[in-house]
Amino acid sequence: MHRFFRPRRMLRDAKQPLLWTAGQLCLNHKPVVACVRGYIVLPPTNDEEEKAMLHRMMRVDHAGEYGANQIYAGQMAVLGQTQISPLIQEMWDQEKQHLSKFNEILAENRVRPTLLLPLWNIAGFALGAGSALLGKEGAMACTVAVEESISEHYNSQIRTLMEKDPEKYTKLLQLIKEFRDDEMEHHDTGLEHDAESVPGYQLMKAIIQAGCKAAIYVSERL
Amino acid sequence: MAALIRGLKAGRALRGLRSVAVQGTLSPQCNNVRRGFHRAALLRLASDSKSDTSVPPPSYHEVHTAGESSSSSAQGESSEGAQSNTSFQDQSGEHGEDYETEEQLQARILTAALEFVPQYGWTVETIAAGAETLGLSSASTGMFNNGAGDLVLHFIAQCNAQLAETLAEQNNLVQLGQAESKKTAEFLKDAVEMRLRMLIPYIDSWPQAMSILLLPHNIPDSLKHLSTLVDDIWYYAGDRSTDVNWYTRRAALTGIYNTTELVMVQDSSPDFEETWAFLDNRIKDVVNMANTAKQVQATGEAVVQGLMGAAITLKNLTGMNQRR
Repeated sequence: MHRFFRPRRMLRDAKQPLLWTAGQLCLNHKPVVACVRGYIVLPPTNDEEEKAMLHRMMRVDHAGEYGANQIYAGQMAVLGQTQISPLIQEMWDQEKQHLSKFNEILAENRVRPTLLLPLWNIAGFALGAGSALLGKEGAMACTVAVEESISEHYNSQIRTLMEKDPEKYTKLLQLIKEFRDDEMEHHDTGLEHDAESVPGYQLMKAIIQAGCKAAIYVSERL
Repeated sequence: MAALIRGLKAGRALRGLRSVAVQGTLSPQCNNVRRGFHRAALLRLASDSKSDTSVPPPSYHEVHTAGESSSSSAQGESSEGAQSNTSFQDQSGEHGEDYETEEQLQARILTAALEFVPQYGWTVETIAAGAETLGLSSASTGMFNNGAGDLVLHFIAQCNAQLAETLAEQNNLVQLGQAESKKTAEFLKDAVEMRLRMLIPYIDSWPQAMSILLLPHNIPDSLKHLSTLVDDIWYYAGDRSTDVNWYTRRAALTGIYNTTELVMVQDSSPDFEETWAFLDNRIKDVVNMANTAKQVQATGEAVVQGLMGAAITLKNLTGMNQRR
């Protein structure tokens, strides 16, 4: 019963004066002395191509975290009352943190979010709920597959940035590495909790990873 | 000091080369030939003036970037050029920096051309008139592959940049606490009105400009400018959304802006009062729709909770909830 009375957190995006003010002050006066966000993740650039590349990267990462958030939401919706629920909740909270970080970056740098967000909303929730219906092992298998895809994606982004200019992108690399490590941790947690014992594990993993690859490809372009 | 004067003379001579009237039309193939002439002329000037270090670098830049006007003999033109070139130095304002890029030159010509729009409309003649006020020949319109489209797009870009600057200034004042922040609807209305007022001097010929923007090869650029405009307005209105609202808000504002623009070109009321009233109503509509959507969502949630409560009550009444 309590589940239905949980208040919804409405993100009033037009009224975040404190953070926004601090952000504006940060951007206007560098170096920064007293600022809520002590650093800028994306290096400011005038090169259009580089800006487009960085925006594309942030767009697809944001879409990825948004989808992951919805997957865990779907899993909790089905398995919320079982023994595995604290674990899934913990992993979900970390994904929520990642998502809010990317929301910050997108807002700060005026990056356009991907047009397919409503699709990832529904698809993520459906994937999470569907895999959770196969039981705890199904949910863990889904987690393993998705986290592996995301880690691979973050790794290729790290490689791209390192090839271009490691010093310039230090903050961004640090952020992506941190997130990648979190996702690897989720992956390992999933394996620890009998992900591989679900029937049809290999098939399920292949399908989910193919879906993730397609989602990444499309989100980069749209 | 002597080297500096020599450098200035070389720079002035090069500008003279640019202003020489060209026989026939300029074409892309001619540009390379012209650049070759330019470099030959330049080398001759450099060797004649015998300055070794100061002259070549800045002049080389100019050769690279200025692509028009030809000369058969550099020497003949340089004296002619020296007379008619003080206007360039005045306009550029700097004596040391005697080069500008082609884009900057194009921008200057187009800005100068804007004052002739009421007279000639949005056409190549306007650009030619603008070029002539800068002391260039009217054949330099050949630089503009898109003709009148270039002029309209330049004007739009200029207006958008001006608007963004004004909005940024207002934003700064609000951040510093020296001004009150406006509510979203009021902010949008003021921003769109400010932007549309920039059209007033050209409003009679604006339908011509709009039709030029609808030409297929101009559509991508005009859409890009429109999307930048709408994004800027929403950003300074405080929109930091990162979900589908990003798209719905910008789509709504694009609709408002385009329809208000259309109303404005056929509005004959004093100071376009009808246009601003129309704008006001459209923004109210959008705000109403947003509020209605929120209310519908809240009602929906309440209904769902009510139904779940009823279902559980039913289960309790029929005894299905008890442990067996």
